[in-house]
Amino acid sequence: MGKRISILTVSVLCLFIIALIGCAGARAVGTLQFHANGEDFVREGFVSKDGWSINFDHVYITLADITAYQTDPPYDPHSGGELKGKVNVGLNEVYTVDLAEGGTDAPPILVGEVQDAPAGHYNAISWKMVKASSGPASGYSLVIVGTAEKDGRSIDFTMNVDKECGYSCGEYVGDERKGILEKGGTADLEMTFHFDHIFGDAETPMDDELNLAALGFEPFVDIAEGGKLDLNMGELHLGHVGEGHCYCECH
Amino acid sequence: MDMKWNLIILFVLLLVLGLPATAYAHGARIDYTVNMTIDIVANYDTGEPMGGAQVVVYAPDDPSNPWLTGACDDEGRFSFTPDTSKPGSWTIQARQSGHGDIVHIPIGADTAVTGSTGGYTVLQIVLMAVCGIWGFAGTALYFLRRRA
Repeated sequence: MGKRISILTVSVLCLFIIALIGCAGARAVGTLQFHANGEDFVREGFVSKDGWSINFDHVYITLADITAYQTDPPYDPHSGGELKGKVNVGLNEVYTVDLAEGGTDAPPILVGEVQDAPAGHYNAISWKMVKASSGPASGYSLVIVGTAEKDGRSIDFTMNVDKECGYSCGEYVGDERKGILEKGGTADLEMTFHFDHIFGDAETPMDDELNLAALGFEPFVDIAEGGKLDLNMGELHLGHVGEGHCYCECH
Repeated sequence: MDMKWNLIILFVLLLVLGLPATAYAHGARIDYTVNMTIDIVANYDTGEPMGGAQVVVYAPDDPSNPWLTGACDDEGRFSFTPDTSKPGSWTIQARQSGHGDIVHIPIGADTAVTGSTGGYTVLQIVLMAVCGIWGFAGTALYFLRRRA
């Protein structure tokens, strides 16, 4: 009897110690989500700087090497340079997403998530825009399908871009701060794509830097149907983090 | 024996009277604190000021919630005084018309300086008291030593 009690006591003690070790070793992790957002420009359409009313049926963009970073000091995208973080988490696959999916009221597109991301503040993100190997955007990094109307003329267009670009971005700038992941919680980061930088925006002053740099839609009229666009993606600054900046290199 | 106790009482009185004490006389005292003001200037990439840009300031101890909100003036300028009791990276965000930027400013723990024109620190008082007690105790023990 005494021996049994001793064995039981030792067993309980061992289980207790194992439980303590397990709790002490538990990491502070949570779920980090990555979203892609074409904003209302894509979801609702807009009027280009040269007066074309553009609506999008599909905007296929192919993304790879999506990585979030906890950087200290915070990464400065204005200066560029290698993005190094104390903690890095990312998505391992290549994703082709349709930024126009879901209609006018759709939320940003969930590209993927990491479920055991270390807690902390992810204040930088990088990704690459690469050519898709399959699917509706096969062979291209960006495919834009839509309709443009002006002065009673309507053009159905498909524009293909095969340039590949890398974006290294600082912290998201918007209505709320993003990337603050607490233990057991969920946080998100956003890759924002400003298509008004390509076509300009009639609601923005024409002397604004955005419209001065944008091409408008007129240059694409002749090649709109299945044409391949030769855009200088590096100068168009398509990729952002909300209104925050990204350092971009394209080839 | 009475002589020894008289000496002990004398030393204790000297010990009590010898500790630093506040002088309630015709003195003056100035306390001071050095505060830092952060001035930002928000411009578009063209160099034009972001006049009226919305500004949000986040403190290091609460990165999720705004510590201060405001707006730049017509020249894109905005100033504020951070709480220097919260050392770390202070984040300032400025946004207008679809454009925005963010900057992180480190504020060290030694940035806030407070002080005064007089008084001793706690450490100084403790050291002086220990020295005084040790001195008086040693002297008392000397006179109380057994004579060979």
